[in-house]
Amino acid sequence: MESLGQFEQIVLTAILALDDNAYGVTIHAKVEELTHPKKTARGAVYATLDRMEDKSLISSWLSEPTKERGGRSRRHYRLEKSGEKALKESARTAQRLIETITRGLGGLAWKPR
Amino acid sequence: MEAALNGPPEWLERMVLFAIPPAAREGVAGDLWETYQNPGQYAVEALRTVPFVVWSQIRRNLNLPALILQSALIFLCCGGPTTLLALPVLMLREAYRPITRPSPRRAIREAILLSCGAMVLLLQIMSIHSPFPVRTGVDPFTWLSLFLAALFLSPFLCLFRAGMIMQSDRCLPLSASDLPKDTLADSYERFLRGAFCRNILEGVALSFAAVSGFFFAWNALLIGLFVLAAIYLLLDAVPRPAPACDFVSLRARYQHDLARQGQLRRFLHWLWFAPVLMVLHTRLVSGDTSPVPLDSMVLASLNFVAFAILCFLLAALNREHGGRVQEQIGLLDRMRETSPPDRALT
Repeated sequence: MESLGQFEQIVLTAILALDDNAYGVTIHAKVEELTHPKKTARGAVYATLDRMEDKSLISSWLSEPTKERGGRSRRHYRLEKSGEKALKESARTAQRLIETITRGLGGLAWKPR
Repeated sequence: MEAALNGPPEWLERMVLFAIPPAAREGVAGDLWETYQNPGQYAVEALRTVPFVVWSQIRRNLNLPALILQSALIFLCCGGPTTLLALPVLMLREAYRPITRPSPRRAIREAILLSCGAMVLLLQIMSIHSPFPVRTGVDPFTWLSLFLAALFLSPFLCLFRAGMIMQSDRCLPLSASDLPKDTLADSYERFLRGAFCRNILEGVALSFAAVSGFFFAWNALLIGLFVLAAIYLLLDAVPRPAPACDFVSLRARYQHDLARQGQLRRFLHWLWFAPVLMVLHTRLVSGDTSPVPLDSMVLASLNFVAFAILCFLLAALNREHGGRVQEQIGLLDRMRETSPPDRALT
């Protein structure tokens, strides 16, 4: 199975959270929210989206053109089955990491923010 | 939203549009417009975004085997420094690959320009080496051949290019903007079957070409490339049914396979032309002996014309085919699912 990099996990999570409203601007906003306080270049999000589309983790299509975008279409994104699977696997790994770190740093005294 | 409706100045937008690769232009330019606040912010955001988009498009469209083959041909013809200069240009050309076929007018104009250039060269040779009165140049038969070549080159190239355009018009399998899922699945299935047959046939043809290459004393590297390409095509040609999935996933797979087959064809076009280009290049640099008594300058000019025409034909083939693939991918991008027609009523 395709293993994901950290930024890919974040972008996939953003698409998952945005559901039908996942396109460049909203994905970038969600990614910034998830990586707060770190800033992210929108171009990096586009590059990651392209890479994940090539890996068939996500699929994209163009919407109808809208006036607030100067008559241009939105490129919408959606998770594919393989993307969902990869994200679940990443979440399981993250869960194991959190459990191990929590145990190592003194049980319930430490919690991830 | 208020700010977004007041878009960037037209000149600035035009510059940004020019910088964004065509394949990503619609989505990225729209996003930049949507987040527009003022010209400064727009320019800074574009400057921060475009390099990533260009790099991503280079990575996406880069046809590494074709690039290696092109670089090798440039290296053989023009040497190392030119190859080093040409490499970034070739890579950027991949990023800015147009998403449509060239317009017929432009295609014909290019054919006319090339033939005019070739004609000027041929007429120059004819005037220098005129057989009337007989000088130390070409014989009257060769002179007449040059005259006829110059005369018919333009109509030939224009006809060839027009034929290519008409063939591409016929080959577009998708025409409707909205389709039911079953129709899309049928179209995808047809495409997969076509790709399978074409790959088998081309794999066999490449094997034959590689074998005959031994007898024609081709470059060993070239024979090796033909063998590798044949093995790849024959191994890759596995009949696959269209997967059972929803409209969006099916469309994504169709686009993915279209792009992949497009890349494969582009490399194969270059591969098929490579032996001829190499022979012409060898003749150009070595002034090969010819059955017709021509001096080396005339021979070099003729070989140069042949080389240029061959490159033109190859580029035209790739642009027509690549443009057709990009048009189909774009068409799929905008396609919506419609409910299938009620067969009981029809």
